[in-house]
Amino acid sequence: MKWVWTAIIVVVVLRIGMRLRNRSASDKTTPVRVKNRKPLTGWRRKLFTVYIFAKLNTRRFFRDRLALFFGILFPLIFLFVFGSISKGGNNGVSFHVALINNSHSSFSQQFIKETESSKLFKVDDTITTMAQAKDKMNKSQIDGTIVLPADFGQPKDGHPQGQAQVYYSPNNDQAGMALVSVLQQEFKSLNSKFVNVHEPFSVAGVQTKQKSLTAFDYTFSGLLGFSILGAGIFGPINVFPELKKQGILRRFHTTPIRVWQYFLSTMISQAITGLVAIAVMFVAAMTVFHLHVVGNYLEIAIFLVFSIVMILGIGLAVGGWARNERQAAPLGNIIVFPMMFLSGVFFPRFLMPEWLQGITNYLPMSPVVDGARQLITEGKSLADIGSQLLIMAVWMVIIYIIAFRVFRWE
Amino acid sequence: MPQPIIKVENLQKSYGGKKAVNGISFEVEKGEIFGILGPNGAGKTTTLEMIEAVREIDGGSAAIDGIDVASNPYKIRTIIGVQPQSPAFQDKTRLTELIELFGAAYGERVDARKFLDEVSLSEKADSYVENLSGGQKQRLSIAAALVHSPKVLFMDEPTTGLDPQARINLWNLVKQVQKRGITVILTTHYMEEAESLCHRVAIMDNGEIKALDTPQKLVKNLLAKGFKKEQHVEQANLEDVFLALTGKGLRS
Repeated sequence: MKWVWTAIIVVVVLRIGMRLRNRSASDKTTPVRVKNRKPLTGWRRKLFTVYIFAKLNTRRFFRDRLALFFGILFPLIFLFVFGSISKGGNNGVSFHVALINNSHSSFSQQFIKETESSKLFKVDDTITTMAQAKDKMNKSQIDGTIVLPADFGQPKDGHPQGQAQVYYSPNNDQAGMALVSVLQQEFKSLNSKFVNVHEPFSVAGVQTKQKSLTAFDYTFSGLLGFSILGAGIFGPINVFPELKKQGILRRFHTTPIRVWQYFLSTMISQAITGLVAIAVMFVAAMTVFHLHVVGNYLEIAIFLVFSIVMILGIGLAVGGWARNERQAAPLGNIIVFPMMFLSGVFFPRFLMPEWLQGITNYLPMSPVVDGARQLITEGKSLADIGSQLLIMAVWMVIIYIIAFRVFRWE
Repeated sequence: MPQPIIKVENLQKSYGGKKAVNGISFEVEKGEIFGILGPNGAGKTTTLEMIEAVREIDGGSAAIDGIDVASNPYKIRTIIGVQPQSPAFQDKTRLTELIELFGAAYGERVDARKFLDEVSLSEKADSYVENLSGGQKQRLSIAAALVHSPKVLFMDEPTTGLDPQARINLWNLVKQVQKRGITVILTTHYMEEAESLCHRVAIMDNGEIKALDTPQKLVKNLLAKGFKKEQHVEQANLEDVFLALTGKGLRS
């Protein structure tokens, strides 16, 4: 049901975008419609400026192929790449192993056949010698090597016996040890077929039925952050120096437009185009990667608009301050790259040591990624993520104070 | 008796110790076309930008229509139109939208087609601005500078880089603007442009005004000093040949 709603929202938003894009065709039929209107006064006049600037900015986005590519397609490509990776890791555990069989017994042949068809093991067929196996283990391309000695599976005391060896390199000892215990488990069930053993103690694993976060849930909220960062920061730091170089901003400076009007119109158009880009990502994530959205769409949209506007402030500050791209690009990178790696954009923050989590918690991007994940997949509401909203609000104030202070028209 | 609409007194600007504008004073009368002539680096653009309230005034004062520039920059911006040296516009914007945008910058709802018609760009109304020629961009820029019916139009080297047809067309446009009662103040380093267009000119060099008068008076004064030029009896020059061959019609 939610899927249908998203599809409807995306279609409507895209239709509005297309209509904005083709608007002037309908202008032709009513060329003098503005003639009889009274001049605007006071606040309405000031906001009219904002409205027209925002409207034309948004239209330009939908006309600009490059902007569409970087704004919509680029994050989508990331979504597919990262989504496929996290999806692959999510289909249960499996070991990449090499199998070296030195035994000719029928039992060992049978064992190899079963191992190769097992979902637990992915056997690398290209490896036939121990030297090859060691080379691949040192490069961490396989998790370990199972060696069956020459006497493996030879009958003794009435049934086949033997000891398989598992080799693993020290750089991969966790996977190696896990491999050993998995094999032990396999052998245990084999043993019970030959010898009747009574086990007084045992362990049974029980999976909780509760809804849990998948790797993709983390990936998705990180990628939303990536899209917001890209459009909000890289957008202005590329565009503003160009506008200054051509004197376009200086031209606006000769008119009575105020910086806040210019900023506000940019925020509005950025929020619209950002939401379109994110809506497309949602549709892709839900249809292809089975993202299960449990949150309220309105709350998610409100939160995302807040995030987009807050992050855009960083771009406005850097782009508005820089005289040219030589100033804008390095400063932009210094700000963006740490946030990409420390705020959970490319990998979740829970993988970090605790002290680092504590610090990175206060970066502007972290509450965006965390908040988005909690709203979208954890079923929290805006009221539950107050601490994130507070951090974002504080940043919003700081960022925009700086942006207004350092802005220059040329 | 015409009244001054622009009053400039002892205007100064220095960049890193070098005086770009060194205490100049002049008045521009209501309804005239006033030219500032001078070689590159004479301080023409800096002078204009200070009066336009986009560059800070280091010393002296400028006032337009009785309003002090330094203390009322936003008020000044609502009564002036500015044509910058090389007009550039955001791409992927239609001409009608661009006029709408500039109207909005002044808080005005405008009929874009009417303004485009005035600078004979109606046919291009739905094109994107990046598809215009240099002359068309200059005309669009003038239209954009007039959306709010300003009292004064500032033009910085409006014809630099234009072909002769586009230049003549632009001169006619400037004359039309002046006939509507808008005072025009422009910079140029083409003498013929100053001669055929400007009622009065100020000649600047090294940040100072060397002479200020009507073009005819300035020539007369020079002749009175005994200046003699090699005599030419030709009734036409190469530009006349060029225009006779290629016509005065405007190229797109």
